[in-house]
Amino acid sequence: MPLTKVSSGVIAANAVVDSFGTQSITSDKIGLGAITGNTLAPNIINANNIVNASITGAKIAANTITGDDLGQNSVSANNIATNAIENYTALTNRPLSNRNIVINGAMTVVQRNANTTSITTTGYYSPDRFNIELSSAGTWTMNVDSVGVNRAGPNEFGNSCNLIVTTANTNLGTGGYVIFSQLVEGLNLQQVKKGTANAESLTVSFWAKSSNTGTFICELYDNDNSRQCSQSYTISTAGTWEKKVITFPADTTGRFDNDNALSLYLTFWLASGTTFTSGTLNTTWASVTNANRAVGQLNLANRAGNYIAITGVQMETGTVATPFEMRSIGTEFQLCQRYYIDASYPNTGATIGFSGNVTNGNPYFVNFTYPVRMRAAPTLTWTSWADALFPAGSPTFQFTGVVGSNLYKSANATGVSGYFLGGYTASAEL
Amino acid sequence: MYKLIKSIFPNSLSNGVIRLSDGACIPFDPANTDYANFKKEINAETVELQDAEGNTMTAAEAKAYVATLP
Repeated sequence: MPLTKVSSGVIAANAVVDSFGTQSITSDKIGLGAITGNTLAPNIINANNIVNASITGAKIAANTITGDDLGQNSVSANNIATNAIENYTALTNRPLSNRNIVINGAMTVVQRNANTTSITTTGYYSPDRFNIELSSAGTWTMNVDSVGVNRAGPNEFGNSCNLIVTTANTNLGTGGYVIFSQLVEGLNLQQVKKGTANAESLTVSFWAKSSNTGTFICELYDNDNSRQCSQSYTISTAGTWEKKVITFPADTTGRFDNDNALSLYLTFWLASGTTFTSGTLNTTWASVTNANRAVGQLNLANRAGNYIAITGVQMETGTVATPFEMRSIGTEFQLCQRYYIDASYPNTGATIGFSGNVTNGNPYFVNFTYPVRMRAAPTLTWTSWADALFPAGSPTFQFTGVVGSNLYKSANATGVSGYFLGGYTASAEL
Repeated sequence: MYKLIKSIFPNSLSNGVIRLSDGACIPFDPANTDYANFKKEINAETVELQDAEGNTMTAAEAKAYVATLP
Protein backbone atom coordinates (compact mmCIF):
# COMPACT_ATOMS: atom_id res chain seq x y z
CA MET A 1 0.00 0.00 0.00
CA PRO A 2 1.44 3.43 -0.92
CA LEU A 3 2.10 6.00 1.74
CA THR A 4 -0.17 8.99 1.43
CA LYS A 5 1.03 11.07 4.34
CA VAL A 6 3.86 10.86 6.79
CA SER A 7 3.58 12.83 9.95
CA SER A 8 6.44 14.92 11.20
CA GLY A 9 9.06 12.80 12.96
CA VAL A 10 7.68 9.45 11.84
CA ILE A 11 10.58 8.76 9.54
CA ALA A 12 13.89 9.50 11.08
CA ALA A 13 16.66 10.71 8.88
CA ASN A 14 18.79 7.67 9.52
CA ALA A 15 15.90 5.35 8.63
CA VAL A 16 15.47 6.49 5.01
CA VAL A 17 18.07 4.26 3.42
CA ASP A 18 16.72 1.14 5.06
CA SER A 19 13.01 1.96 4.69
CA PHE A 20 12.75 2.89 0.99
CA GLY A 21 13.95 1.02 -2.01
CA THR A 22 16.15 2.54 -4.65
CA GLN A 23 14.30 5.21 -6.65
CA SER A 24 11.14 4.69 -4.54
CA ILE A 25 11.01 8.44 -3.92
CA THR A 26 11.35 10.49 -7.07
CA SER A 27 11.36 14.19 -7.46
CA ASP A 28 7.70 14.43 -8.47
CA LYS A 29 6.76 12.92 -5.08
CA ILE A 30 8.40 15.69 -3.12
CA GLY A 31 6.13 18.63 -2.63
CA LEU A 32 7.29 22.17 -3.02
CA GLY A 33 8.96 23.22 0.19
CA ALA A 34 8.91 19.69 1.65
CA ILE A 35 12.65 19.64 2.00
CA THR A 36 14.35 22.69 3.32
CA GLY A 37 17.95 23.36 4.01
CA ASN A 38 17.37 22.87 7.71
CA THR A 39 16.07 19.31 7.23
CA LEU A 40 19.06 18.00 5.32
CA ALA A 41 21.78 16.55 7.43
CA PRO A 42 25.38 17.30 6.44
CA ASN A 43 26.74 15.41 3.41
CA ILE A 44 23.35 13.87 2.47
CA ILE A 45 23.55 15.39 -1.00
CA ASN A 46 26.83 15.03 -2.81
CA ALA A 47 27.78 15.36 -6.42
CA ASN A 48 26.87 11.73 -7.18
CA ASN A 49 23.27 12.34 -6.09
CA ILE A 50 22.67 15.27 -8.36
CA VAL A 51 21.67 14.23 -11.83
CA ASN A 52 22.36 16.40 -14.79
CA ALA A 53 20.12 19.44 -15.05
CA SER A 54 18.39 18.70 -11.74
CA ILE A 55 19.47 22.09 -10.39
CA THR A 56 19.16 25.03 -12.71
CA GLY A 57 20.23 28.56 -12.22
CA ALA A 58 16.66 29.64 -11.60
CA LYS A 59 16.50 27.36 -8.56
CA ILE A 60 19.46 28.98 -6.84
CA ALA A 61 18.24 31.83 -4.70
CA ALA A 62 20.22 35.00 -4.40
CA ASN A 63 23.20 34.67 -2.04
CA THR A 64 22.63 30.91 -1.71
CA ILE A 65 26.25 30.20 -2.53
CA THR A 66 28.90 32.39 -1.05
CA GLY A 67 32.60 32.26 -1.32
CA ASP A 68 32.84 30.44 1.99
CA ASP A 69 30.71 27.59 0.66
CA LEU A 70 32.95 26.74 -2.29
CA GLY A 71 35.61 24.19 -1.57
CA GLN A 72 39.08 24.56 -2.96
CA ASN A 73 39.12 23.71 -6.69
CA SER A 74 35.37 23.02 -6.60
CA VAL A 75 34.81 25.19 -9.66
CA SER A 76 37.19 24.81 -12.55
CA ALA A 77 37.17 26.28 -16.03
CA ASN A 78 35.66 23.08 -17.41
CA ASN A 79 32.61 23.61 -15.23
CA ILE A 80 31.88 27.09 -16.48
CA ALA A 81 29.64 26.90 -19.47
CA THR A 82 29.64 29.42 -22.26
CA ASN A 83 27.93 32.60 -21.09
CA ALA A 84 27.57 31.12 -17.58
CA ILE A 85 29.27 34.13 -16.04
CA GLU A 86 28.56 37.58 -17.31
CA ASN A 87 31.50 39.09 -19.21
CA TYR A 88 33.52 35.90 -18.86
CA THR A 89 33.11 35.04 -22.51
CA ALA A 90 33.58 38.66 -23.51
CA LEU A 91 37.04 38.51 -22.01
CA THR A 92 37.95 35.11 -23.39
CA ASN A 93 40.88 35.36 -25.75
CA ARG A 94 41.58 38.92 -24.68
CA PRO A 95 45.17 39.66 -23.69
CA LEU A 96 45.84 40.15 -20.00
CA SER A 97 48.47 42.76 -20.81
CA ASN A 98 49.13 45.15 -23.65
CA ARG A 99 45.40 45.48 -24.17
CA ASN A 100 45.55 49.23 -24.49
CA ILE A 101 46.27 50.26 -28.05
CA VAL A 102 46.56 53.88 -26.95
CA ILE A 103 50.05 54.99 -25.94
CA ASN A 104 50.41 57.43 -23.03
CA GLY A 105 46.70 57.26 -22.22
CA ALA A 106 47.42 58.40 -18.66
CA MET A 107 49.31 61.45 -19.96
CA THR A 108 52.39 60.53 -17.95
CA VAL A 109 55.01 61.17 -20.66
CA VAL A 110 55.52 64.81 -21.62
CA GLN A 111 58.73 65.25 -23.60
CA ARG A 112 57.65 68.52 -25.17
CA ASN A 113 56.18 71.44 -23.24
CA ALA A 114 54.03 70.81 -20.19
CA ASN A 115 52.12 73.96 -21.08
CA THR A 116 51.74 75.31 -24.61
CA THR A 117 49.78 78.50 -25.20
CA SER A 118 48.52 80.37 -28.27
CA ILE A 119 47.80 77.28 -30.33
CA THR A 120 46.13 78.05 -33.63
CA THR A 121 47.66 75.38 -35.86
CA THR A 122 47.80 71.61 -35.90
CA GLY A 123 50.62 69.89 -34.06
CA TYR A 124 52.04 67.89 -31.18
CA TYR A 125 52.40 70.23 -28.24
CA SER A 126 52.18 68.65 -24.82
CA PRO A 127 51.58 65.02 -23.78
CA ASP A 128 53.36 62.57 -26.05
CA ARG A 129 51.42 60.84 -28.82
CA PHE A 130 48.40 63.17 -28.63
CA ASN A 131 47.97 66.02 -31.04
CA ILE A 132 45.50 68.79 -31.56
CA GLU A 133 44.22 69.58 -35.04
CA LEU A 134 42.31 72.75 -35.60
CA SER A 135 41.19 75.17 -38.24
CA SER A 136 39.47 78.53 -37.73
CA ALA A 137 38.37 77.63 -34.23
CA GLY A 138 39.91 80.17 -31.90
CA THR A 139 43.10 79.98 -29.88
CA TRP A 140 43.85 77.21 -27.41
CA THR A 141 46.15 76.24 -24.61
CA MET A 142 47.17 72.61 -24.22
CA ASN A 143 48.80 71.46 -21.03
CA VAL A 144 49.29 68.58 -18.66
CA ASP A 145 47.93 69.14 -15.19
CA SER A 146 48.96 66.99 -12.26
CA VAL A 147 46.85 68.67 -9.61
CA GLY A 148 43.21 68.67 -10.57
CA VAL A 149 43.02 64.99 -11.23
CA ASN A 150 44.37 63.94 -7.87
CA ARG A 151 42.21 66.43 -6.08
CA ALA A 152 38.84 65.72 -7.56
CA GLY A 153 38.78 63.02 -10.16
CA PRO A 154 39.81 59.50 -11.00
CA ASN A 155 42.41 59.12 -8.32
CA GLU A 156 44.39 56.44 -10.10
CA PHE A 157 45.66 59.04 -12.57
CA GLY A 158 48.29 61.59 -11.72
CA ASN A 159 47.95 63.64 -14.89
CA SER A 160 45.36 64.84 -17.34
CA CYS A 161 45.60 66.69 -20.64
CA ASN A 162 43.70 69.95 -20.57
CA LEU A 163 42.53 71.84 -23.63
CA ILE A 164 41.51 75.39 -22.80
CA VAL A 165 39.99 78.05 -25.04
CA THR A 166 41.84 81.38 -24.75
CA THR A 167 40.28 83.18 -27.71
CA ALA A 168 36.74 82.18 -28.58
CA ASN A 169 35.18 81.55 -31.96
CA THR A 170 31.40 81.68 -31.62
CA ASN A 171 30.77 80.99 -35.29
CA LEU A 172 32.68 78.05 -36.73
CA GLY A 173 31.10 78.54 -40.14
CA THR A 174 31.46 75.57 -42.40
CA GLY A 175 34.97 74.25 -42.08
CA GLY A 176 36.07 75.26 -38.59
CA TYR A 177 36.93 72.43 -36.24
CA VAL A 178 39.03 71.29 -33.30
CA ILE A 179 39.93 67.67 -32.67
CA PHE A 180 42.14 65.99 -30.09
CA SER A 181 43.59 62.78 -31.49
CA GLN A 182 45.96 59.89 -31.22
CA LEU A 183 47.25 58.55 -34.53
CA VAL A 184 47.92 54.81 -34.57
CA GLU A 185 50.22 52.93 -36.93
CA GLY A 186 49.11 49.77 -38.69
CA LEU A 187 51.60 47.49 -36.95
CA ASN A 188 49.81 48.12 -33.67
CA LEU A 189 46.35 47.33 -35.05
CA GLN A 190 46.56 43.89 -36.61
CA GLN A 191 44.77 42.29 -33.63
CA VAL A 192 41.63 44.22 -34.59
CA LYS A 193 41.33 41.96 -37.65
CA LYS A 194 39.51 44.75 -39.42
CA GLY A 195 38.35 43.89 -42.88
CA THR A 196 37.97 40.19 -42.10
CA ALA A 197 35.06 37.99 -41.11
CA ASN A 198 36.55 37.86 -37.60
CA ALA A 199 36.82 41.61 -37.16
CA GLU A 200 36.73 42.82 -33.57
CA SER A 201 34.75 45.56 -31.94
CA LEU A 202 36.79 48.32 -30.33
CA THR A 203 35.94 49.76 -26.94
CA VAL A 204 37.22 53.17 -25.94
CA SER A 205 37.15 54.26 -22.31
CA PHE A 206 38.38 57.48 -20.76
CA TRP A 207 37.80 60.04 -18.05
CA ALA A 208 36.67 63.54 -18.99
CA LYS A 209 35.85 66.78 -17.22
CA SER A 210 34.53 69.83 -19.00
CA SER A 211 33.21 73.29 -18.35
CA ASN A 212 30.38 72.50 -20.74
CA THR A 213 27.62 69.92 -20.48
CA GLY A 214 26.22 68.38 -23.62
CA THR A 215 27.06 66.14 -26.54
CA PHE A 216 30.58 65.34 -27.69
CA ILE A 217 31.66 63.05 -30.52
CA CYS A 218 34.33 60.36 -30.47
CA GLU A 219 35.38 59.04 -33.88
CA LEU A 220 37.48 56.25 -35.34
CA TYR A 221 38.82 57.13 -38.78
CA ASP A 222 40.42 54.40 -40.90
CA ASN A 223 43.09 56.21 -42.89
CA ASP A 224 43.94 53.16 -45.01
CA ASN A 225 40.47 52.69 -46.40
CA SER A 226 38.85 56.11 -45.92
CA ARG A 227 36.17 54.73 -43.62
CA GLN A 228 34.94 56.08 -40.32
CA CYS A 229 32.55 55.52 -37.45
CA SER A 230 31.38 58.03 -34.82
CA GLN A 231 29.74 57.67 -31.44
CA SER A 232 28.37 60.38 -29.17
CA TYR A 233 28.79 60.72 -25.44
CA THR A 234 27.43 63.21 -22.95
CA ILE A 235 29.13 65.35 -20.36
CA SER A 236 26.41 65.43 -17.71
CA THR A 237 27.79 67.71 -15.03
CA ALA A 238 30.11 70.65 -15.54
CA GLY A 239 33.45 70.56 -13.77
CA THR A 240 33.10 66.94 -12.68
CA TRP A 241 35.17 63.93 -13.71
CA GLU A 242 33.04 61.38 -15.55
CA LYS A 243 34.11 58.03 -16.96
CA LYS A 244 32.93 57.34 -20.48
CA VAL A 245 32.82 53.98 -22.26
CA ILE A 246 32.11 53.78 -25.98
CA THR A 247 32.02 50.64 -28.09
CA PHE A 248 32.55 50.83 -31.83
CA PRO A 249 31.22 47.93 -33.91
CA ALA A 250 33.47 45.60 -35.84
CA ASP A 251 34.17 46.44 -39.46
CA THR A 252 34.47 43.55 -41.90
CA THR A 253 35.48 45.88 -44.72
CA GLY A 254 38.96 47.27 -45.27
CA ARG A 255 42.01 45.84 -43.55
CA PHE A 256 44.51 47.99 -41.73
CA ASP A 257 47.81 47.95 -43.60
CA ASN A 258 50.41 45.84 -41.84
CA ASP A 259 53.06 48.57 -41.87
CA ASN A 260 54.48 51.46 -39.92
CA ALA A 261 52.33 54.12 -41.54
CA LEU A 262 49.25 55.85 -40.18
CA SER A 263 46.20 53.57 -40.14
CA LEU A 264 43.77 54.89 -37.54
CA TYR A 265 42.80 58.15 -35.90
CA LEU A 266 41.20 57.97 -32.46
CA THR A 267 39.59 61.38 -32.36
CA PHE A 268 37.78 63.44 -29.76
CA TRP A 269 35.88 66.27 -31.44
CA LEU A 270 35.76 69.52 -29.48
CA ALA A 271 34.18 71.84 -32.03
CA SER A 272 32.91 71.44 -35.55
CA GLY A 273 31.55 73.55 -38.39
CA THR A 274 28.64 72.51 -40.54
CA THR A 275 30.85 70.64 -42.98
CA PHE A 276 30.99 67.88 -40.38
CA THR A 277 27.59 68.28 -38.72
CA SER A 278 24.98 68.78 -41.42
CA GLY A 279 24.11 65.10 -41.95
CA THR A 280 23.19 62.18 -39.73
CA LEU A 281 25.74 60.85 -37.27
CA ASN A 282 27.30 57.74 -38.77
CA THR A 283 27.40 55.20 -35.93
CA THR A 284 28.37 52.22 -38.09
CA TRP A 285 31.46 51.89 -40.27
CA ALA A 286 31.05 53.44 -43.70
CA SER A 287 32.96 55.30 -46.34
CA VAL A 288 33.72 58.82 -45.22
CA THR A 289 30.96 61.37 -45.60
CA ASN A 290 32.16 64.50 -43.83
CA ALA A 291 28.63 65.70 -43.04
CA ASN A 292 28.05 62.59 -40.91
CA ARG A 293 31.19 62.67 -38.80
CA ALA A 294 30.43 65.05 -35.91
CA VAL A 295 26.68 65.62 -35.89
CA GLY A 296 25.57 67.01 -32.52
CA GLN A 297 29.04 68.12 -31.39
CA LEU A 298 28.78 71.20 -29.19
CA ASN A 299 31.08 74.15 -29.87
CA LEU A 300 33.56 74.15 -27.01
CA ALA A 301 35.36 77.06 -28.69
CA ASN A 302 32.48 79.47 -28.21
CA ARG A 303 33.74 81.10 -25.00
CA ALA A 304 37.16 81.91 -23.60
CA GLY A 305 37.76 79.81 -20.52
CA ASN A 306 35.90 76.75 -21.76
CA TYR A 307 37.88 73.59 -21.27
CA ILE A 308 37.93 69.84 -21.39
CA ALA A 309 40.33 67.64 -19.45
CA ILE A 310 40.93 64.06 -20.54
CA THR A 311 42.89 61.17 -19.08
CA GLY A 312 42.83 57.41 -18.76
CA VAL A 313 42.32 56.89 -22.47
CA GLN A 314 42.16 53.21 -23.37
CA MET A 315 41.18 51.51 -26.64
CA GLU A 316 40.95 47.73 -26.70
CA THR A 317 39.42 44.98 -28.76
CA GLY A 318 36.07 43.59 -27.69
CA THR A 319 32.96 45.08 -26.14
CA VAL A 320 34.14 45.28 -22.53
CA ALA A 321 36.06 48.19 -21.06
CA THR A 322 38.57 46.56 -18.75
CA PRO A 323 40.28 48.56 -16.00
CA PHE A 324 42.86 50.99 -17.32
CA GLU A 325 46.13 49.23 -18.08
CA MET A 326 48.62 51.24 -16.05
CA ARG A 327 52.02 50.58 -17.60
CA SER A 328 55.24 51.51 -15.82
CA ILE A 329 56.68 54.91 -16.67
CA GLY A 330 59.77 53.28 -18.18
CA THR A 331 57.71 51.18 -20.55
CA GLU A 332 55.41 54.06 -21.48
CA PHE A 333 58.40 56.30 -22.11
CA GLN A 334 59.98 53.84 -24.51
CA LEU A 335 56.70 53.37 -26.36
CA CYS A 336 56.56 57.13 -26.85
CA GLN A 337 60.17 57.31 -28.01
CA ARG A 338 59.35 55.19 -31.02
CA TYR A 339 57.76 58.42 -32.29
CA TYR A 340 59.62 61.26 -30.61
CA ILE A 341 62.84 61.65 -28.63
CA ASP A 342 63.87 64.72 -26.73
CA ALA A 343 67.61 64.48 -26.17
CA SER A 344 68.06 68.21 -26.45
CA TYR A 345 70.25 70.60 -24.57
CA PRO A 346 69.49 71.90 -21.96
CA ASN A 347 66.27 69.90 -21.44
CA THR A 348 68.08 66.62 -21.05
CA GLY A 349 71.72 67.75 -20.99
CA ALA A 350 74.20 67.70 -23.81
CA THR A 351 74.23 64.15 -25.03
CA ILE A 352 76.56 64.02 -28.00
CA GLY A 353 79.57 65.89 -29.30
CA PHE A 354 83.18 65.82 -30.49
CA SER A 355 86.49 66.96 -29.07
CA GLY A 356 90.07 66.61 -30.29
CA ASN A 357 92.75 68.00 -32.54
CA VAL A 358 91.21 69.68 -35.56
CA THR A 359 92.38 71.20 -38.80
CA ASN A 360 90.66 74.14 -40.37
CA GLY A 361 88.26 73.03 -43.12
CA ASN A 362 88.18 69.35 -42.20
CA PRO A 363 84.90 67.63 -41.25
CA TYR A 364 84.62 65.72 -37.97
CA PHE A 365 82.01 63.03 -37.45
CA VAL A 366 79.97 61.75 -34.54
CA ASN A 367 77.87 58.59 -34.75
CA PHE A 368 75.06 58.10 -32.27
CA THR A 369 72.16 55.74 -31.65
CA TYR A 370 68.71 56.50 -30.30
CA PRO A 371 67.50 54.92 -27.04
CA VAL A 372 64.93 52.90 -29.01
CA ARG A 373 64.37 51.88 -32.60
CA MET A 374 62.14 54.54 -34.11
CA ARG A 375 59.08 54.12 -36.31
CA ALA A 376 60.82 55.73 -39.30
CA ALA A 377 64.04 57.59 -39.98
CA PRO A 378 63.33 60.71 -37.92
CA THR A 379 63.54 64.40 -38.62
CA LEU A 380 66.47 65.64 -36.53
CA THR A 381 67.11 69.04 -35.03
CA TRP A 382 70.18 70.16 -33.13
CA THR A 383 70.38 72.24 -29.98
CA SER A 384 73.86 73.67 -29.44
CA TRP A 385 75.64 73.86 -26.13
CA ALA A 386 79.19 74.98 -26.94
CA ASP A 387 81.68 75.18 -29.82
CA ALA A 388 85.43 75.84 -30.02
CA LEU A 389 87.35 75.87 -33.31
CA PHE A 390 84.02 75.04 -34.94
CA PRO A 391 81.41 77.53 -36.17
CA ALA A 392 78.28 78.04 -34.14
CA GLY A 393 75.09 76.51 -35.41
CA SER A 394 73.82 73.10 -36.36
CA PRO A 395 75.97 70.28 -37.65
CA THR A 396 74.74 68.33 -40.66
CA PHE A 397 73.01 65.02 -40.06
CA GLN A 398 74.48 62.98 -42.88
CA PHE A 399 73.00 59.50 -42.71
CA THR A 400 69.84 59.08 -40.68
CA GLY A 401 68.15 55.76 -40.07
CA VAL A 402 65.70 54.22 -37.63
CA VAL A 403 68.32 53.26 -35.03
CA GLY A 404 70.79 56.13 -35.24
CA SER A 405 72.40 58.87 -37.23
CA ASN A 406 75.69 60.43 -38.11
CA LEU A 407 76.50 64.11 -37.97
CA TYR A 408 79.47 66.23 -38.87
CA LYS A 409 80.79 69.75 -38.59
CA SER A 410 83.76 71.27 -40.35
CA ALA A 411 86.34 73.05 -38.22
CA ASN A 412 86.87 76.74 -38.90
CA ALA A 413 90.29 76.91 -37.21
CA THR A 414 93.22 74.67 -36.44
CA GLY A 415 94.11 73.65 -32.88
CA VAL A 416 94.49 70.90 -30.31
CA SER A 417 91.27 71.44 -28.37
CA GLY A 418 88.43 71.80 -30.77
CA TYR A 419 84.98 70.66 -29.78
CA PHE A 420 81.29 70.96 -30.46
CA LEU A 421 78.66 69.77 -28.01
CA GLY A 422 74.89 69.67 -28.06
CA GLY A 423 71.77 67.61 -28.11
CA TYR A 424 69.02 66.68 -30.50
CA THR A 425 65.36 65.99 -30.96
CA ALA A 426 64.15 63.24 -33.25
CA SER A 427 60.64 63.13 -34.60
CA ALA A 428 59.08 60.17 -36.37
CA GLU A 429 55.50 61.13 -35.53
CA LEU A 430 52.64 59.98 -37.67
CA MET B 1 62.60 76.72 -48.23
CA TYR B 2 64.62 73.52 -48.26
CA LYS B 3 68.23 72.75 -49.05
CA LEU B 4 69.71 69.42 -50.02
CA ILE B 5 72.08 67.95 -47.46
CA LYS B 6 75.59 67.98 -48.82
CA SER B 7 77.25 64.61 -48.85
CA ILE B 8 80.95 64.83 -48.10
CA PHE B 9 81.64 61.28 -49.17
CA PRO B 10 82.75 60.71 -52.76
CA ASN B 11 80.08 59.26 -55.05
CA SER B 12 77.49 59.51 -52.31
CA LEU B 13 74.19 61.21 -53.08
CA SER B 14 72.33 63.47 -50.72
CA ASN B 15 69.98 61.47 -48.53
CA GLY B 16 67.99 64.28 -47.00
CA VAL B 17 67.06 67.95 -46.95
CA ILE B 18 67.44 70.72 -44.43
CA ARG B 19 64.27 72.65 -43.63
CA LEU B 20 65.77 76.12 -43.48
CA SER B 21 63.03 77.61 -41.30
CA ASP B 22 64.19 75.59 -38.28
CA GLY B 23 67.33 73.79 -39.42
CA ALA B 24 65.73 70.35 -39.13
CA CYS B 25 67.33 67.58 -41.18
CA ILE B 26 64.71 65.47 -42.94
CA PRO B 27 65.80 62.08 -44.28
CA PHE B 28 64.42 60.63 -47.49
CA ASP B 29 62.31 58.00 -45.74
CA PRO B 30 58.84 57.55 -47.23
CA ALA B 31 57.48 56.86 -43.74
CA ASN B 32 58.71 60.22 -42.45
CA THR B 33 55.77 62.64 -42.49
CA ASP B 34 58.02 65.70 -42.84
CA TYR B 35 59.53 64.14 -45.96
CA ALA B 36 56.05 63.45 -47.35
CA ASN B 37 55.16 67.08 -46.68
CA PHE B 38 58.36 68.26 -48.38
CA LYS B 39 57.50 66.38 -51.56
CA LYS B 40 53.93 67.66 -51.46
CA GLU B 41 55.12 71.26 -51.12
CA ILE B 42 57.67 70.95 -53.93
CA ASN B 43 55.12 69.40 -56.25
CA ALA B 44 52.63 72.11 -55.36
CA GLU B 45 55.34 74.71 -56.04
CA THR B 46 54.68 76.41 -52.71
CA VAL B 47 58.31 76.26 -51.56
CA GLU B 48 61.74 76.45 -53.15
CA LEU B 49 64.55 73.94 -53.09
CA GLN B 50 68.25 74.74 -53.04
CA ASP B 51 70.90 72.33 -54.18
CA ALA B 52 73.67 71.33 -51.78
CA GLU B 53 75.71 74.37 -52.81
CA GLY B 54 72.89 76.77 -52.01
CA ASN B 55 71.74 77.47 -55.55
CA THR B 56 67.96 77.75 -55.86
CA MET B 57 66.47 75.31 -58.34
CA THR B 58 63.67 76.28 -60.66
CA ALA B 59 60.30 74.79 -59.83
CA ALA B 60 60.63 72.40 -62.75
CA GLU B 61 64.11 71.31 -61.66
CA ALA B 62 62.93 70.79 -58.11
CA LYS B 63 59.94 68.71 -59.21
CA ALA B 64 62.12 66.66 -61.53
CA TYR B 65 64.55 66.01 -58.69
CA VAL B 66 61.79 65.02 -56.28
CA ALA B 67 60.45 62.61 -58.86
CA THR B 68 63.69 60.63 -58.56
CA LEU B 69 63.35 60.21 -54.79
CA PRO B 70 61.80 57.23 -53.02
